[in-house]
Amino acid sequence: MLIRQLKQFPRALSHFSTVAEPAQVKLEHFRTNESTVSSQGSQHIGRFYRIPLEERKQLFTHGGLPKSFEKQAKTFGEVCVMVREPAVEIIDYIKSSDLSRPVNRFVLHGDDGCGKSLTLAHVLHYGLQNEFVLVHVPWVPNWFKRPKETANSSTHEGFIDLPFDSAAWLIHFKTQNANLLPKLNLKTTKDYVWSKRETTPAGSTLLELIEHGINRVKFASDAITALLSELKQHSTDGKCKVMVGIDGYNAFFHDKTRILTENKAKVTPDKVTLTKPFLDITNYDWTNGVCILAVDRIALTEERMESSLPRYQLGKEGFEHCDPFIPIKVENYSEEEFENCIAYYLDRRWIQNVTEGFDNELKHLSAKNPYNLMSVCAPL
Amino acid sequence: MLGPASKLALFRPTICLVSHMSVYPKNYIDPIFKKDQQEALKTSGEHLKIAHIPIKAARNNDTVSVFHDDVISKFTNYIMRKGDKLLARDLLDKSFEQIKRVQLEKYNTAKTEEEKAKIQTNPKEILHQAIENSRPLLQLTPIKRGGVTYQVPVPITINRSNFMAMKWIIEAANEKERTIHFPQKLAWELLDAASNQGRVVKRKQDLHKQCEANRAYAHYRWS
Repeated sequence: MLIRQLKQFPRALSHFSTVAEPAQVKLEHFRTNESTVSSQGSQHIGRFYRIPLEERKQLFTHGGLPKSFEKQAKTFGEVCVMVREPAVEIIDYIKSSDLSRPVNRFVLHGDDGCGKSLTLAHVLHYGLQNEFVLVHVPWVPNWFKRPKETANSSTHEGFIDLPFDSAAWLIHFKTQNANLLPKLNLKTTKDYVWSKRETTPAGSTLLELIEHGINRVKFASDAITALLSELKQHSTDGKCKVMVGIDGYNAFFHDKTRILTENKAKVTPDKVTLTKPFLDITNYDWTNGVCILAVDRIALTEERMESSLPRYQLGKEGFEHCDPFIPIKVENYSEEEFENCIAYYLDRRWIQNVTEGFDNELKHLSAKNPYNLMSVCAPL
Repeated sequence: MLGPASKLALFRPTICLVSHMSVYPKNYIDPIFKKDQQEALKTSGEHLKIAHIPIKAARNNDTVSVFHDDVISKFTNYIMRKGDKLLARDLLDKSFEQIKRVQLEKYNTAKTEEEKAKIQTNPKEILHQAIENSRPLLQLTPIKRGGVTYQVPVPITINRSNFMAMKWIIEAANEKERTIHFPQKLAWELLDAASNQGRVVKRKQDLHKQCEANRAYAHYRWS
């Protein structure tokens, strides 16, 4: 108990310890040593915690952190995420919710650059540490705005497959759950017949199903459908718990994509085979899971960017699909968070030309928006 | 009809031989827009002296921002083409960002404190250092004597040499492959010049060598 309390106050720890310890014990006020997400609480809000390299590799090698943040992490030589209110709130809800009930859906919304994606990343980190099977889509519009390749679906008449993107997602899924899948040893519940010679019999592991999707790119989309329905089944049976994190979720409900059919007609998202399984897994008809859906203005096209509120972004259909959900608003930095961020940037030498009143000026230039602050500080 | 005063003005002899291009008469002084300079004036009591002297209007890039720097402002103006200052500022900001990223990665990978202390990571300081390092002291002016044009080395003012340094840096940054962007190349040139290497410093040294070789013509400057 005492140790846990001390853990939460790392400065106190360094003060009382008599043993010579490495230099890193002296911690700045804007950092926290707590890299176990589940023990982060409201006392850590506004502080930066470091994501260990191993976990970062496992979670985000195939996307998940915003590009500009990746760049920043490379420059700073560390991946530090600020513990912020929305993430702590969601994790708190997940901890206190009864997983045997139908899944809770959390919808993250907020203005551009407020930190929706990073909040999602933070919650995913929690999921990784607490043995959730992660179903994570880094950025849905990638599929609809710039697909690698399109093909007509062989199983569903009139649908479009995205073979390469699907296979890429399967690889992403496999790396994120590399530790967990062999341990859980989940089996398929029914036969999957891909073609005359290729079948995945009932009772083979999910890994085999994934491998098949990766090796036979043609069937990757169908493999995802099979995988997600299996996962739903298993978690409802109580064999595993699943965390679904989808960034840019509203793109599923947009009325257009950039995908063209053979006769050059634009396809709507519901005619893409990938849409159905992901809408299915965000439905409320299963248990032992949790869905975190980030709704983003820039996931849609220009004419649909007026508001960042969920009702507008999801549209009627999407809103009704998600209903009932828990809306979580991600806001700009608070006063304290802003100060800590400035202190962190000063520490990382991202801001170097310091004269009196510079922080006040930055506050007004960036309007305390995290992304704006980062880009305003870039040439300083 | 002309009034008596303007009649006089017509017959007044021209004092100024070179035409004065400014819209402001010569008694107007430059505006003092920085807060600390204003404070300094107030504490020294100088402000009373200029209290009744007319002042030129401040230019639109004269700002009280704590990040304002005269050299950066000047350099932006030299980068600018066709009056597009927004673009010019954007380009310079981007190359500062590049400089910072390169230097900070070096800084973070450096092992000892000594090594770290040696690495300059401040882009503003790097720009100042780069300009200082690429400033020429002399230049060659063609002067015609006895039907022959000689390249005569002449000393130049600080202003002129600053201008030449900045111009050379920008010219060097413009000579690049099509695939490389201007901010990237400018960042490399600035980093090179700040560490006393690279094409701009070479150009300065070449000019100095030329001047040294033509020292025999130096007297043509006055005879």
